[in-house]
Order: sequence, then structure tokens, then C-alpha cells
Amino acid sequence: MNLERLSLALLGLGVATVSFVGQLVAADSPRFEKDILPVFYHHCFACHSEKQAKPKGKLRLDSAEAIRGSDVIVAGKPDQSELLKRVSLPHTDEDVMPPLKGGAQPLNDGERAMLRQWIADGAKLDSWVKFDHRGAVASAVEATLAGLDVRQLSAEVQKHVERSHAAKGIKPNAPVSDETFLRRVYLEVVGRIPSLAESTRFLESKAADKRGKLIDELLGSEGYVSHMFNWKADLLRVNTRIAQGQPGKLYDDWVKDAVRSRMPYDEFVRQLVTASGYLWENGAVGFYVRDLGMPLDHMSNLTRIFLGTRIECAQCHDHPLEPITQKDFYQMVAFTFGVSNLGSPGGYSPDNVKQWPAIKAKLATMDKDESLAQAVSGTIAPMKRLTQDTDKQLKFPDTYAYDPALRGKPVEPRTLFGDEAVITDGARRKAFAEWLTSPRNPRFAKHIANRLWKRVMGAGLIEPVDSLSALPNPEHAELLDFLTQTMVRLRFDERAFMAVLLNTRLYQSEAMRETPEPAAVFAMRGPQLRRLSAEQIWDSHLVLLAQDIDERKSNYRLGGVLDTQRLKKLTTMTADEIIAQARVNLAEHTRGRALSLRRAEQQKELAAAKARGDDKEVKRLTTLHAKENKAEAESDKEAAPKETDPRWKSLPPTFIRASETPLPLPLGHFLRQFGQSDRREIDAFSRDPNTTHSLALMNGELTTRALAEDSFLRRQLAASKAVGEQRTQLIYRAILVRSAKAEEIAEMAALTKASATPEQDIIWALLNSPEFLFNQ
Amino acid sequence: MKSILTDLSRRAFVERFAKAVFGVSLLPASGRLLAAEPKIGGKAKSVIFLYMRGGISHIDTFDPKPGKPEMGGVQAIATSADGVQISEWFPRMAKQMHHVSLVRSMTSTQGIHDRGTYLAHTSYFMTPTITHPSLGSWAVKLLGSANAVLPGNILINGSPQHPRSGYMPTHLAPLPIMDPGAGLQNSALPSKVTESDFARRTAMAQAVGGRFVQQTPHRDAAAYLKVQQDAAALMKSEDLKVFDISREDKKTQAAYGTHTFGKGCLLARRLVESGVRFIEVEDAHNWDTHNDQIKQMENMTPSTDQTMAALLEDLHQRGLLASTLVVMATEFGRSPQISNETAGRGHHPGVFTWWLAGAGMKRGYVHGKSDEIGERVAEKPVTMQDCNATIARAMGIDLQHIEHSPSGRPFTVADKGRPVVELFA
Repeated sequence: MNLERLSLALLGLGVATVSFVGQLVAADSPRFEKDILPVFYHHCFACHSEKQAKPKGKLRLDSAEAIRGSDVIVAGKPDQSELLKRVSLPHTDEDVMPPLKGGAQPLNDGERAMLRQWIADGAKLDSWVKFDHRGAVASAVEATLAGLDVRQLSAEVQKHVERSHAAKGIKPNAPVSDETFLRRVYLEVVGRIPSLAESTRFLESKAADKRGKLIDELLGSEGYVSHMFNWKADLLRVNTRIAQGQPGKLYDDWVKDAVRSRMPYDEFVRQLVTASGYLWENGAVGFYVRDLGMPLDHMSNLTRIFLGTRIECAQCHDHPLEPITQKDFYQMVAFTFGVSNLGSPGGYSPDNVKQWPAIKAKLATMDKDESLAQAVSGTIAPMKRLTQDTDKQLKFPDTYAYDPALRGKPVEPRTLFGDEAVITDGARRKAFAEWLTSPRNPRFAKHIANRLWKRVMGAGLIEPVDSLSALPNPEHAELLDFLTQTMVRLRFDERAFMAVLLNTRLYQSEAMRETPEPAAVFAMRGPQLRRLSAEQIWDSHLVLLAQDIDERKSNYRLGGVLDTQRLKKLTTMTADEIIAQARVNLAEHTRGRALSLRRAEQQKELAAAKARGDDKEVKRLTTLHAKENKAEAESDKEAAPKETDPRWKSLPPTFIRASETPLPLPLGHFLRQFGQSDRREIDAFSRDPNTTHSLALMNGELTTRALAEDSFLRRQLAASKAVGEQRTQLIYRAILVRSAKAEEIAEMAALTKASATPEQDIIWALLNSPEFLFNQ
Repeated sequence: MKSILTDLSRRAFVERFAKAVFGVSLLPASGRLLAAEPKIGGKAKSVIFLYMRGGISHIDTFDPKPGKPEMGGVQAIATSADGVQISEWFPRMAKQMHHVSLVRSMTSTQGIHDRGTYLAHTSYFMTPTITHPSLGSWAVKLLGSANAVLPGNILINGSPQHPRSGYMPTHLAPLPIMDPGAGLQNSALPSKVTESDFARRTAMAQAVGGRFVQQTPHRDAAAYLKVQQDAAALMKSEDLKVFDISREDKKTQAAYGTHTFGKGCLLARRLVESGVRFIEVEDAHNWDTHNDQIKQMENMTPSTDQTMAALLEDLHQRGLLASTLVVMATEFGRSPQISNETAGRGHHPGVFTWWLAGAGMKRGYVHGKSDEIGERVAEKPVTMQDCNATIARAMGIDLQHIEHSPSGRPFTVADKGRPVVELFA
């Protein structure tokens, strides 16, 4: 094994060992900026930098001047250097640096050895002057591309990849077959396996560049919207019930529409961050309604999903592991704190319900009709959650520990890094959104480029994807810079960016099939093999149950006071109209109460009759109750219309693509079992294997339906003329999207020899093979 | 100065001694000596956590206010515990109250269902940056479970908002049983599939899967082949029978009741017998009685009363109550005032009641007091964190033990909750 290979193997162990490798490989002295600075950043800057109001022990390690002026490093004499002594203490010693609390990690042996070497060699700082905590702004990008040539960009990405391979002596994986590519690209772009017809069409096509054409076609399809929605919804934590008494589904719809209409990513983020209005006027306000009354957490999440930077540790105290202070955190929150729903959920006022003064005056003349007053309140309740800017200012908490003088003082907004945001006319959010989404922001485009890369390739060029910092990224820096610039040049067109990645030779190579090491540097031999998401598994099953499944939409409708048409009218109604509406709602409510009480009585009557064994009475009551409940059943029917489309008639209305399903689903639902996120926090999905997965695939409803004679798959098989081996091949193509090898055919034939249901057996076996659950 | 030093070195000695002899650390992270607290708890081998979804009224159940207009004409009745009265709607529980410790001074600041439910299950306030694990996940993580085959944490009729294992690994999440009458979901062969069909198909799937795993060193690929074998074995295993409540005699089934809560609690008892650590059963009733309080209570309480009483009686008869802690919890109480308009009660986190029974808790005891109409805490306020600390302590969990989330944030089982020492017998 040559040194180059050894260094690669060690690099695979992750960020923490980078310096260790440097020490082993480079026989020459470690360099400060490349080797030592990252160690200082991760282990020391949280207490010893200009970021702290009072650096611990008055020691700073973030400027050349400060380091030279301190006595903790004695150049040339490691054993006399306090710094080396302290970081080398056993972890049980109270004096060990860094102090091991709040998740701080001690230096590893490699890092210590490297520090020692660096000090022994004279602790040279080279031309380094100081660490720039705000980091540089992103370099200017050449003009946006006129005729976007995706293929050209793909080729350039590929060149970067190959340059990296050459430098590291990596041999890329072999090109992938049409079959593997087909399944992979369907799962990647539209989130499901291709149907039999779709597979056959592609595999039999003789067209030049048929892969590129398929990529374009899929990126333009409704299936793309579905799959992309799941991905964004996991990041944004979109949930149908984002807040009590609010039409949360309209936030779902807004995100879907944004994807469908090809809204550029930067515009998408700007619209979310600056959103104002009621949910039924602008679904994007769901971004704020979602985090009602939680302005601090809202900013933590915002920074994480749009800038790839985690600052939530600094919510309550200075970040223990990075030079991010609580003050930094509060300055960021100050941009959005004034948003009505975040900082100050409250009652009715002319601010959120413009008819409120008139309503109040009228109610006062109505002799304290409490029932009506409550009904009015119930009617206008959804309007309480108007999202808009207020003058409310964030203040430093009374427990602020770093500068008692600031306690209770207003916080001036300030960006965390890069440019300052210039606020004009008090429009804090506008200035913030401009800073956030600007091509000059050093992390905005970089983060989305890295995330989409991960989505396509299975691993980020920086991992974790939300660990961006002011430190330069040593690995894949050139490639990521190129991708970042590409994102900007494509004007944040996510589909075009995906097309660039999907057309690379790298993507169209055999997958890396090993378990990735945590925090390993992505070797880029091919995309990373991974388990399908819960949504991909569910949606892929649906392909076997019915045709054109991407087109089937949810029949879930918001009803009652949350009916969208009703809400839209509400905003423009006069006080009198609102009171009249409240009377209607009151009557509805009274009727509902009576009905629900009657239903409970019905149950009791029936239970009593059953207990007596009075069959005649049971029969009489059943008929009576059915009659009583008929009126209600009629109105229910209106709410959930019966399926009329012949393509889906035999499939219950809940068998729709995961993206169409209102969340959260019941715990025992297939999607929950396979780890669908409950959207409580960012990317809260899971892909860990579990016995309940096998039980669901072996005995559950999806498999039973796929095996049934009227499933789309079985009907297709019945319609085909294929027999014997050809038929087995067809089943393999439908489920695993590949042809069966000769020995597999023989094996299946042998195992089903005595079976009365060979076709169902093979379908069952393929659905239950782990192969079905992975994207390779 | 000297005394502090002496104290420190004494502490260090005790600490070293404990480590040497018991292999444990007595010194909690906060530096406070655990030995300063009386030795309590550790008797609960299993917990049955009964959750009343929607916020059950305290006044109409276990904290009645006899003669007050807030009762809406409902009476209080005497119980098997000296001097303890409960609502007349719980006549069967009245005969079990000698087993029970009521905590009538529960208080919280969370008046929204989601947030109250979250706090009750996790001891932390809901935030969108992290999901905290529920108590059952803590229990299995720190204590394991006596049965190696069955999951140690089971949730019967749980709602979709359950926080499950939060930031902890998913294998610590409760296994959901959606329909306690139907047993473990998907564990029975579908109709028309015979044992031999199943055996043949599994062999085929293993063959196809085996080929895939051979060319796929990814850990999860092999794991899926393995969980399939496990699942097939589970379907045949004796342990699966524990989920089949129809194996109980008719009399027992009838005692618990044939509704979801009755079946759920009967299943919970069977799971306790099999050594499962933590079982949560959610009542199928929605106790969010904004309308028609009295009527709704009249409709809902009989089945709940029946099941709770049957569970306590059954555990007692089988000698399991000494090692099983039964808890009744809810997200908040309901306002003392009955609305003139809706005849219902609103959300009321200011004061409400939880109860605990078994596993070394005091019997026939009332802890804390609400004021004379049940509006505020009058004596000995207990937070949900405190009550969860009590439950954790009853199980023998170290309240100071720190678990880190994947992002490195430190958490303890009941946040800053302190166990209610008076509840332990």
C-alpha cells in the first residue's frame, strides 16, 4: 500500500483525523492554515477568540498577534508549551482542554502529535494574520448562462470528478447498464419504480441519447413534483396540521405549486422568508404559522435548512464547539422576531381582524349574547393567525450571561457572516431575505448545491450537509465551488441543476455498495447505494396496483370553518355579515352537538339490546339509526366524493402517492412503519431495518393487493402472451426492473414446481427481497 | 475552606469506594451527592401508562368538589381508601382506591393538546429543533427489558403525534399496536395463504435476497435478509401468543370490557407477565369535552371505570401489582366552570389529577390539593416533570443520567423534575 492510498484510507475516517493524516503523510512540518487552524477552530475558538465578550483566561488563538503575544506556545519547545500540556492531559483531569462538557471532544493522538511537531518546528504562522470569523463573501460569478447547456455543464462536472480521481488514484466504477440506470433514475427523479410500459419503452428505444431524453422527460413530469415535495416537506417540516384551527393544507399546496411552476430556489426561499398574509391568501406564511410562538427555534431551523449552519446551541449560551455566540444568535433572530405569529401570538385586534372594532361595538349592543359572542369568536378564529411584520423588538434575555449590561436591551439585527444586511424603511425581513439568497452569500448557493448533490449521489461533498462554517472545506473544494457557481449561473433552477448531475458519467456508474463510514469523505466512484425512503417504497408498490398513479390526487378537503372559499370570503365580509355567518355556524354547531349525543345514545341502546339478546330489537334499532343518520351520511358523501375514474375504481381513496396523503398518518400505517418523517423536526425520517417492515411486506395489505387478480400487475400479466420463462422475465422487469439471469429462472421454476400459484409466488418473493428496498 | 475540602475528599472516597464495590458512580453530574436523598423506588419492573387523550376533567373524575355548583349536580362517593372520595361516575374504581396514590396537585403551563401531550410523555417542552424521547424509550434504553424476544416498549392505540423515541435510535421507539384485539399488526397469514405457501415464498425471497446481499456489502442489505428470517420466526413463536387476548378466559375478557381500552389493558397485563418494560395504553375516548360535559361524561366514563378497575384488581390478584406501576396521565384538566353556551368545560392546565398505583407507591393516599373549586393548586404543586421523575425513580432510573442527542445536547430522563418522595411507601 503506497502512502497515497494510506492517506485516503485514513481520510475515510473523517474530519477529526484530517490532521492526523497530515502528520503521517507529510514528512515536512504541518502548515498552520491547512493543519493547525482547523484544530483550533473546532477545539479552541468556542472560548478563545474575539467572538467572546471575554475570552477565557484572556487567551485568544484567532490572530497571529494574539498567538505571538501569549505565553501558551513556546516556539521550538513543545514541552514548555502550556497549550500542548493542557490538551494532552487525560480526559479525567479537571484541567484538560477543551473542557469536556456540552459534547466537546478531546484532541485525538494524531492532532496532539501534529501540534507537537508544529511547535517543535517553530510554530510558524506563515503569512496568516487572523481568522476572519465572518468569512469572505462568495466570489463573483460570470454572467448567467444564456443558452443553458446542461450536457456541457455535466461534462465539466465530470472533469472535476476525474481530476479528483487522478489526484487520489481512485478507480471509478464501471458504467451502469440501461436497466439499472432506468430504475435508479425513476426512483431519483419521480420517486417510484417505472411501470412495465415505461420500462419497455425505454429499454427498447434505439434513440440516440435516450438516457438524457428520459432525464428531461422525468424532470418535467408530475411525478417529479410529488417526489420533490416530499424532500422539501421533510426540510420545511410541512405537516397538514401545522397549527390548530388553521388550514395547514394550504401550505402543502403552496409548496407543491412552487415546485410545479418551476419557481427558482432563491425565489422560493425569499417568498417563504418574506411571506405575509393569511394562509388562504398566501400559503407561504405556513413557514411562520408552523412555528407559532417559537421565534428562536424558527431561526435555528431556518439557518440550518437554508445556510447549512447549525446555531441552535447558541440559543441559550455561547456555542460550546464553535465560535458562535448567543449574541450572534439573537442578532439573527432579530430579523424575524417582529413577525406577528412568531413572537406574539395573541387575541383579536384591528391588526389581524380589521372588522374587529365594528364587531365588538355591535356585540355590545346585543345584550351580552354570550352564545353569539362565542360563535363570532369561533368564526373569525382563523383570522387570528395573520402573518405580518410588527415593530416588536427582540430583547436580550434576563439571563444573558456574557454582558449583564445588555440584559433586557433591544437586539439590533445583524447577519452571522458574509455581507451586512442593509435595512431600509425598517423592512427587516426584506433585507434579511436579500442577504440570505444573494449569490454573494458564501453559504446559500453552496448549501443547496451540496444538498442536491447528496440527494442525487447519496452523499454530500461536505458531510454533514449542515456543517458549513467559516473554515474552508479541504475536501472536494474545487468541485463544490464549481457546483455552487453552476447553481448561480442556472439562476437556481433546481431541475436544470439536477439534470447536470444526472447526466454525469459519475451518476451513470455502478453504485458504491458498501456501508458508508460516518463522516467519510465521499470517494465518488459512483452514487451511494441506499435504502429507499418510506415514500419511495409506498409509491413503488402503487405502480403495481394501478396505472397512472402520479395523476391520482387526494380527495382530502378542508371543511366547515376551514373551507377555503369560506375563509376567502371572511376576509372581505362586513361586521354584520360576520355576525350573520356566526349565527349560521352556531346553528350548525348546535345540530352537531345534538347529533353526537344522539349517536352515543344509539350505541347505548344497541348495546343494551344486544346484552339482552333481543335480536328483534337490535334489528329495529339498526334500521332506525340508519334512517336517523342518513341525513348526515348524505353530507359526508359530498365531502368525500366516490372515485369515478375507472383507472382507480378498485383502489380505496387512501391509496394515493405519499405526497398526497394528509399527515401525520396513524402510527401503524405502512409509511410510518418504514420511517416516514412526522415532520416534527428537520429530516426526521428513518431508514433502519426493522422486523415490522418484513411483517408488512409479507402479510400486509400492499402485498395482498399486488397479488390479487385485479391488481394492475396481474392484469398486465394476464393480457400478455408471455408464458413460462418469458412470464417470469416480465415479473422481474415489473418489480425489480431487470431481467432474470438464467440460474434465477431455473431456481424460480424449481421452487414453484409443486405450487398452484407460481405467478403470485414470484411476485411475493421479489417484493420481499431486500433488492426491492434499495436504490442501486 | 477547610471543611469544604474535607467534604470533597470524603465525597471522593465514597465515590471511589462505590466504584470499586458496586462498579457504579454515585456522584451525579451535577455534583450533588445522591446519598443525600432517601433510598426510594426501583420496585417497578414494568409500567403501564394509561393515557387519557384530550385532557380528562379532574373534577368529574378523581378530584370531586362535593356540593359545589361546579360539579353540575354530580355526586362524590366514598371509596375503599379512608377519607378519599371520587366522582360517582367511577363506582368500580371506588373499590380499588386503596391501591391508588392520587396526585391532585398536578400543574402545567401547556394548554394546547399537542404541547401538553408532548410534555406529559417527554418531560420537555415541545420545540421544533429536536424531538425528545418518550419515557418508555428512556426506560428501555437505560434498563433494557426482561424479555429478549418482545420489544420492551409497546404503545397500544397510540395517536400519530406520539413523540416515540425522539432523538434516540428507532429501535427504542414503542412498537405500535393499533388494534389490541387484532394482535401484532401483520403477524398473521392473510386469508387464502397457507403455511406451505408461506414457507415456499419465504424460501424464494431468501434466495433472491441472498444473491443481492452477496454482491452488496452494505450492512442494511444483510440486515433486511435477517429481519425477514426474524419476522418469519416471530410469526411461529410462542411469544407471539402474548398478543392474542382471545386466549384469556371469557370472564376475564368481559371484566376488562370488549371495547378498545378494555382490550388494550388486558393486552398490557399479558405483556407485563411476559416481562415487557413499558406499555402505554391510550383510552379510545376523546376526553376533550368542550360540549355537554355531563352528558359526555355519562357516556364515556362507564367503560373507562370498568377497565381501570379491572386492571388494578387483576394485577393485584395475580400478585403483579407489587412490581408493576400503573399510571393514569393526561395533558391537562378541565375548567371548573361549565360553559353556559356549550355546557362543556375548557382546557385547564392550572391544576389536574394523575394517579399512580403499585410498585411501592403509597396505597390509598392523596398527594397535594386543588383549591375548593378545583381551579388552582392549593398545596404541594407537582409538575409533569416531577411526576415523570417519580415514575422513573420507581423504575430505578438514575435521574441525573445524561444522554446526548446526536447533535451533542445533554438531556436527562425527566428534565429538572424532582421525584415526589412522599408518594413512595
